[in-house]
Amino acid sequence: MMSKPVDAAAPAPAIEIRFGQVGLIQVRVRSTDPGAILDELTGKVASAPLFFQRTGVCLDLTLLGRDPQLEEMRAVMDAVRRAGMLPVGLVGGSAAVESLSAALELPVLAPFRPQTQPVPVVQAAERVESGIPALMQQQPVRSGQRVYARSRDLVVTATVGAGAEAIADGSVHVYGSLRGRALAGARGETSARVFCQEFRAELVSIAGVFRVFETLPPELAGRPVQAWLDGDDLRFAPLGS
Amino acid sequence: MTEIIVVTSGKGGVGKTTTSASVACGLARRGKRVAVIDFDIGLRNLDLIMGCERRVVYDFVNVIQGDCTLKQALIKDKRLETLHVLAASQTRDKDALTPEGVKRVLDELIAEGFDYILCDSPAGIEKGAHLAMYYADRAVVVVNPEVSSVRDSDRILGLLASKTQRAEQGNGGVKEHLLLTRYNPKRVASGEMMSVDDVKEILGLDVIGVVPESPDVLAASNSGVPVILNDESNASRAYDDAVGRLLGEELPMRFLEEPKRGFFARMFGG
Repeated sequence: MMSKPVDAAAPAPAIEIRFGQVGLIQVRVRSTDPGAILDELTGKVASAPLFFQRTGVCLDLTLLGRDPQLEEMRAVMDAVRRAGMLPVGLVGGSAAVESLSAALELPVLAPFRPQTQPVPVVQAAERVESGIPALMQQQPVRSGQRVYARSRDLVVTATVGAGAEAIADGSVHVYGSLRGRALAGARGETSARVFCQEFRAELVSIAGVFRVFETLPPELAGRPVQAWLDGDDLRFAPLGS
Repeated sequence: MTEIIVVTSGKGGVGKTTTSASVACGLARRGKRVAVIDFDIGLRNLDLIMGCERRVVYDFVNVIQGDCTLKQALIKDKRLETLHVLAASQTRDKDALTPEGVKRVLDELIAEGFDYILCDSPAGIEKGAHLAMYYADRAVVVVNPEVSSVRDSDRILGLLASKTQRAEQGNGGVKEHLLLTRYNPKRVASGEMMSVDDVKEILGLDVIGVVPESPDVLAASNSGVPVILNDESNASRAYDDAVGRLLGEELPMRFLEEPKRGFFARMFGG
């Protein structure tokens, strides 16, 4: 009877392979004019640097209506990088894309399933802004009260008290102390954000993704803070940092 | 022009009735015609604090239900001739109060020519508290420098801004004042107790007075003499200042710091 000797000190593998899901911004390219791309994307990045700066983007060429040349694509990618975003893939669909991807050393990613809400880059510029001003709440939102801005943003120019709720289908802006709950994107708008001047929130939620604050993280407590959704993760950062 | 002032808090035991009694006396002492009404049906104690519990023949509910006239129910204070007390019923409960009934009584008091009607609210946010604040022109929200009292007062401020006649009619709303009671400067200095500024920051309102914690308040309840009538007491002076400010006077805040003991007091433990 022979038993295989057990290797007592097997070295740990250098890598582990796991499957995960990431939310990725899709940049749909209508024109390969690098100047125009650089202009537009720079503007986008400047509008929300924390969100867009060095973020991975997937390039979708279907709107071009033709197969671009390799050199064109190199110029496009250069423009995208110079604007501050990082191309990390091409949306697949044709043989031309397959060969471009090999030459550009980018993976081919599956075509996007349309999200319930359009992604912020480029497409956001096309979405017609309805122009309804935010719901203005000038009085403090007292404990036990709830204020809801339907189909728009909510702006509170006073305190949201502990035990109070400030809710909006759009973003929630509190020019005061946020001590209660803030719920933005109440009907699923994932690009909605929460902003406040003094962060002491009990709970923050965006499009249903929420976080309860049993203790306030020292880097956020009492400071101006914004919260946003990065895929499925709720992120917080001091404003102006 | 009669002014209806509700004394409310949300939290129980913070000093509403003590405040109602002292403010009523303070106003009457300045010559105003004052009626103070106990809205705590079933758990009345305004009459105890005012020292007229043995003179209650008819009460607020009797008047609402037409068992007696308002004049028969109003108890005239023995010390201040322009002050009258309307006691609550001890045997009924708050369901005996109706909005129409309360309005009728208040209108009759206004017709009688009272300058101020003070409504001593019960604790909580149910019917009694709701009716006490509903017809108010002004509110004195009594707060202890303590987290649950502050939270409950925030709730009450929300109700004052939304569930009162003035709020519903868009008449400028009920004018809100905070009165901080049971303030202990020593504990504030050591960081155990919230300061005036802490309370102001959370509630977003200025205070109309700070009444220091005082053993005189218990003595006052026991003897049925509202503390403002005790000239030796700091609580009394603080209440008097608050009454002055309610009437528009500008008075500096007192009793925010521990009293400094003089040399002899420290030497001989006075």
